[in-house]
Amino acid sequence: MLGSRVTCERVLIYSYRISGLHVSSELELPVAIPEAPQAKAADVVIRRGPVPMALDGATARGPNWEMAGEIFLLRVPRLARFQIAAGRDIVVEIEPGVTDRDAAGFVLGSVFGILLHQRGALVLHGAAVAKDGRAVAICGASGEGKSTLAAALCRDGCAFVTDDICVVGLDANRRPIVLPDGRQLKLWKQSIDRLDLAQRRGEAVRESFEKYFIEPSDALGQASPLAAIYVLRGARPPFQAGIKHLALADAVRALDYEAYRPVLRSKIGKKPEMLTHAAAMLGHVKMFLLVRPRGFEHLDETVAAVRAHWDALDR
Amino acid sequence: MTAPARIVWLASFPKSGNTWFRIFLANLAAGEKGPADINNLDERGGSASSRSEFEEATLLDSDLMSHDEIDELRPRVYETIAGDTIDQRWMKVHDAYTLTCAGDPLFGRNLPCAAVYLARDPRDVAESLSYHLNTTVDDAIKFMNTEDAALCSGRKGPGPQLRQKLKGWSGHVTSWLDQANVPVHLVRYEDLIAEPVASFGAALRFAGLRATTEEIERAVRYADFAEMQRQEKEKGFAERLSRTAPFFRAGRPGDWRETLTAEQSITIERHHGTVMARLGYRLEL
Repeated sequence: MLGSRVTCERVLIYSYRISGLHVSSELELPVAIPEAPQAKAADVVIRRGPVPMALDGATARGPNWEMAGEIFLLRVPRLARFQIAAGRDIVVEIEPGVTDRDAAGFVLGSVFGILLHQRGALVLHGAAVAKDGRAVAICGASGEGKSTLAAALCRDGCAFVTDDICVVGLDANRRPIVLPDGRQLKLWKQSIDRLDLAQRRGEAVRESFEKYFIEPSDALGQASPLAAIYVLRGARPPFQAGIKHLALADAVRALDYEAYRPVLRSKIGKKPEMLTHAAAMLGHVKMFLLVRPRGFEHLDETVAAVRAHWDALDR
Repeated sequence: MTAPARIVWLASFPKSGNTWFRIFLANLAAGEKGPADINNLDERGGSASSRSEFEEATLLDSDLMSHDEIDELRPRVYETIAGDTIDQRWMKVHDAYTLTCAGDPLFGRNLPCAAVYLARDPRDVAESLSYHLNTTVDDAIKFMNTEDAALCSGRKGPGPQLRQKLKGWSGHVTSWLDQANVPVHLVRYEDLIAEPVASFGAALRFAGLRATTEEIERAVRYADFAEMQRQEKEKGFAERLSRTAPFFRAGRPGDWRETLTAEQSITIERHHGTVMARLGYRLEL
């Protein structure tokens, strides 16, 4: 899928809509939602250029990242370096011999995760699907089965909203909405086979990797009201399968824990804004702990349980 | 050692007493409030191969990275952890001590770290490993004899653990005992069984962790097999891989005499005799 593009001084410019933002990019971002070039300035500009190995005056750093004021530097050894500034400008330097596509996955994931925090957004680590105009988010750490459950719910008639990065915004009435991150669902081959989705299998997330993009049968390109957040865990002692409501104190803690890369929240998140935001959200949205029985053979059971639970939620 | 280590690598080949040691530590921390819950150990130290800790620290999506690319960043992750740790963190490790593609030691260079290395008679490991991996004893032995064997090396599905290169049983032992970057204290599983208070106590002293004999004795009591088996039977155990075989099995030194065939024990001794002798395991070849 190609973004709409215009040639400008012999550089191709692609336009995308990502997490509710208008994005103008010199780098092609396969599987992002393309849009017509906008007359007004883009919210986010991605360009190629030199990115330093380190930042002067860094105030916080991690194993492969540094932060100095509004500038964030992210390094992926042997692949690329990214500089993200003020929630608006992204500079990408790709190592020789690395394809744009291999770098694009990091732009749509970690780099946007950082940028969204710079913009003060509430970002959950989770997938979201929608049915009858309402969305539910499914949060959880890598490997807990969010994407597989989202895919199974889509097979069961839900529309796909987002995978991995789930931005919760507020609409004009300050009611929570979910914004699509502009990516397709990613699934390991094993899940694709078990869900019988071979026909929808798109490109590999990286060359020679056995994880693939899945073309959704029905995808929502715009924001939808958020009805509930499920925190997903595989059943293992002491967790037993079932769905349990999280009381406010637990929900606040879970929101912190289920944030996309919590360290970003503590280092660059705009705390007062995020707290107000979280409070407004929890006034409208209930959170639940969803413990699924382990094993693909139980997936349909989990889908049925979530659908029934979701239908029973107050409108 | 001058200053107590920030990270203590609790390193071992799989099925060599690592979980038992962590349960002992959890009980030491629980004190009079023990016995500690066997399903609530990770908060205390975690595992060096945790995928989610890697992702939280690097901000990266590990599914987009090869095993070698991930390994290249792991020394940087441990540097960050060592810098952030205020007390002392005991981290479970099954990786052999190796170098990354960039030539860095996987567990970092010049960090305030120490290692407690747990070794167990490979003839006893073989049977235990076969239960754990749900395979035959012969296949478990093959796994132990294979230099490039690794845990979680597949790229077919998601998993909570990063790839862990093991280098075979002998390669694992020598990789840790013969490296020069991290001070290492050897503990034999058999000595933990025979003299738990003295053996656990020596490891704690090595790491600079202070505990009284009374505290050690109580933690040993709470961490005994009967207690672990009781908890597993009642509530299950989160780290168990097999659907049928319990994780905590009796584990008596020398069980292999009853469970291995002569051919199996000979195969192990042929492959690992040199290192076995070095650790004081008597060869019967």
